[in-house]
Amino acid sequence: MSTKVYITGMGIISAIGDSVEETLQSLSSSKTGVGKINHLETFHKDTFVVGEVKHSNKELIEIAGIGNYNRTTLLGFIAAREALKKASINDIKEVRTGFISSTTIAGMCTTELLYKDFLEGKNNTNFIDSHFCGVSTNDIAKHLGISDYVTTISTACSSAANAIMLGARLIKNNILDRVIVGGVDPLSKFTLNGFNTLMILDKEWCKPFDENRKGLNLGEGAAYLVLESEKLVKEKNKNILAQLLGYGNANDAFHQTASSPEGHGALLAMQKAFKVAGINPGAIDYINAHGTGTPNNDSSEGIAMQTLFNNNVPKFSSTKAFTGHTLAAAAAIESVISILAIQNNMIFPCLNRSAQMSDLTITPVDTLEKNIPVNYVLSNSFGFGGNCSSLIFSKN
Amino acid sequence: MNDLIETLKAQIIEQLNLAELKPEDIDPNAPLFGDGLGLDSIDALELIVLLEKHHGIKIQDPKDAKAIFASLQSMADYIIANKK
Amino acid sequence: MTAYINGLSCISHHNTIDENYFFENLPPQPLNNKLLATEPVYKEYIPAASMRRMSHIIKMGLTAGLMSMKKARSEKPDAIIIGTGIGCYQDTDTFLCSMLDNNEQLLTPTAFIQSTHNTVGGQLALTTKCNGTNFTYVHQNLSFEYALLDSMMLLNENEASTVLVGAIDEITPSLFELFYRTDRIKKTEDLQSIWNSTSKGYSLGEGVAFFNISSTATPTTQAKITGVKCKQHIENSDELIHETDLFLRSCGLQINQISLVLSGNCGDEQMDKKISEFNKKINLPIGYFKTLCGEYFTSSGFAMWLASTIIKKQVIPQAILPDNQIVSNIQHILIVNHYHDKQYSLMCISVC
Repeated sequence: MSTKVYITGMGIISAIGDSVEETLQSLSSSKTGVGKINHLETFHKDTFVVGEVKHSNKELIEIAGIGNYNRTTLLGFIAAREALKKASINDIKEVRTGFISSTTIAGMCTTELLYKDFLEGKNNTNFIDSHFCGVSTNDIAKHLGISDYVTTISTACSSAANAIMLGARLIKNNILDRVIVGGVDPLSKFTLNGFNTLMILDKEWCKPFDENRKGLNLGEGAAYLVLESEKLVKEKNKNILAQLLGYGNANDAFHQTASSPEGHGALLAMQKAFKVAGINPGAIDYINAHGTGTPNNDSSEGIAMQTLFNNNVPKFSSTKAFTGHTLAAAAAIESVISILAIQNNMIFPCLNRSAQMSDLTITPVDTLEKNIPVNYVLSNSFGFGGNCSSLIFSKN
Repeated sequence: MNDLIETLKAQIIEQLNLAELKPEDIDPNAPLFGDGLGLDSIDALELIVLLEKHHGIKIQDPKDAKAIFASLQSMADYIIANKK
Repeated sequence: MTAYINGLSCISHHNTIDENYFFENLPPQPLNNKLLATEPVYKEYIPAASMRRMSHIIKMGLTAGLMSMKKARSEKPDAIIIGTGIGCYQDTDTFLCSMLDNNEQLLTPTAFIQSTHNTVGGQLALTTKCNGTNFTYVHQNLSFEYALLDSMMLLNENEASTVLVGAIDEITPSLFELFYRTDRIKKTEDLQSIWNSTSKGYSLGEGVAFFNISSTATPTTQAKITGVKCKQHIENSDELIHETDLFLRSCGLQINQISLVLSGNCGDEQMDKKISEFNKKINLPIGYFKTLCGEYFTSSGFAMWLASTIIKKQVIPQAILPDNQIVSNIQHILIVNHYHDKQYSLMCISVC
């Protein structure tokens, strides 16, 4: 299975922009998308800051132009459509094509608005048609014209990384020639309240990898990559954005939600990714860390990186102070960010950070770095259930 | 104090779904976490809500929880000291 | 890609947890419009300390997963892949209701944590200390099929030598209420044989089915998975026949080599229209598996368990066969499934 897997297109919508260009603009001007809640109706509206997409559902319906779908489907479609457009695909049916999405919220953003009425016996049961995972995936696939292989992965915050690596494996196993992969999650009361019960939300702007970090800010958005086989890229003379060189998924098997102190699962996932990539850790120019800003994650991830790189850790940052933690979409959004780093020879900063973590020897990049050769990027995403995933991207 | 201890026992059994335990099985001075009852970090969060819901006391920092919930006795002491 | 089933376990409405039970003396129709699972004694498999916060889908999934590993004489799988259509609905419902009833205040974390779709996969990893690949597919009625395809691909890639793959879905009171009020559930007075059904709706089921699979046969091997295929959409019964033909050819088989078709008719006349026409045209013995398990997103997991058990015992439960058919020398079983006439799947289970 020596087939290479290339990224020929990407699309994104998040708190820092509605497109790849807007995202790069925000990243390179250190402009965060985290701020007050505007669109989500919640008791906690004035308590928490979030990375909210700067559009109401009504506006998203207009932008998407596919009809009256829920926020999950709309965000996903907008990002997937951009990805396909950037990949210059004229005939979606010309080769074996798949769509692999991921989400944790699915239709809950609608269900939570109608559930009280349903429980009271009122006739509000339409949410059954959008509630379950898979519905938004099928709806997006339908509007993109994809039907050969359509599925949904849901492994909490590592979901999109797992969707991406599944896509790569399907190409390498000669089951598909092209696959659109990524994830989407909107903000919802369910997750805002859920994370609040875990006491891991920061009421102020989060500070990943800062000694005084208090927790994460939730975010929302969607991102998709177009993966194509080496053969297809050559045949169609496609423009390559990057190569998906390596990937790995491992389980921490320590606790339902917390990471092991030494970051065992994270270490295993990164090791697997390097094995697939066939490169040494020393080749990495930049790590886009999971870096949620929780006391637990940043410590355990930092220790895992120090272990893997033998304390010779390359430049790294978390970009969650830009976007918030976008749950299932995080790995896809951060894959786009990683590829932008490669394309533009930039390293994006770990915003809002100043105090050195006392349990780590390493310090992230605090300010934007330009004109730095970025040929290999490692991107980490870790989720509940001990689910740890890592991706490695290369310039060519 | 004894009433509070007995109340806490019943509340903990219900909140943490410790259906196999009877109140007389819980030693007020035994550790709640690790050894003793063997509760974990998720249970600590449940107890934080229990404290606010039933006793009106809000713990702002989860790091403080470890000392407060060391045992049933330390929990009772904290409630008495902080009840408004 | 093929794979061997070396250990399997199923919790369903009937006493499928007992290896000696095989659907004797059942009428040829679903017993009720709600087919709740017959559950085992969990404390034989799960310590009380962990079990206290588990909802019933987590207990079912964990137990069946561990049981299937025991039968395969496997201590720890190399990978764990789960398919679920609904996920952990009881916990989702508990947290959601609490959030709505208390106006988003004084909420507790347990139900929220357990509501994530990959909770069972995570629990199995914790219990078996398995650090390997751990995926959960949540794609309605193709969830289990995609989990199975991924598992077989892992074996094919030599990324794993054994994979624990499972199908899990549950009924909760609110879920049943939701399905009932949206006219999906058969009224009890309309219950009849699925193959004779002229009314709307189906019996809602729940259950879990777990399989320990590998790329080579072992002393505990029960059956072989010869192929799996998913289709987003089927236009008519002729297309279903054509797809079946292509699928079986890819398995190295022809339609006339199939001993039995386990057909996923649900009992709703309209939804079953295409598959019923297919059954008439295909000219093979048909067994209606949802008679036993009801309709739910991962019922194909039950079907695969049933097919493997039929192959081992060389006996087909009479309740699922119309007209008292006799079928012998069962070599290859074709499973054809659909849900609401959307998304179809084909699986082939064979003797090995």
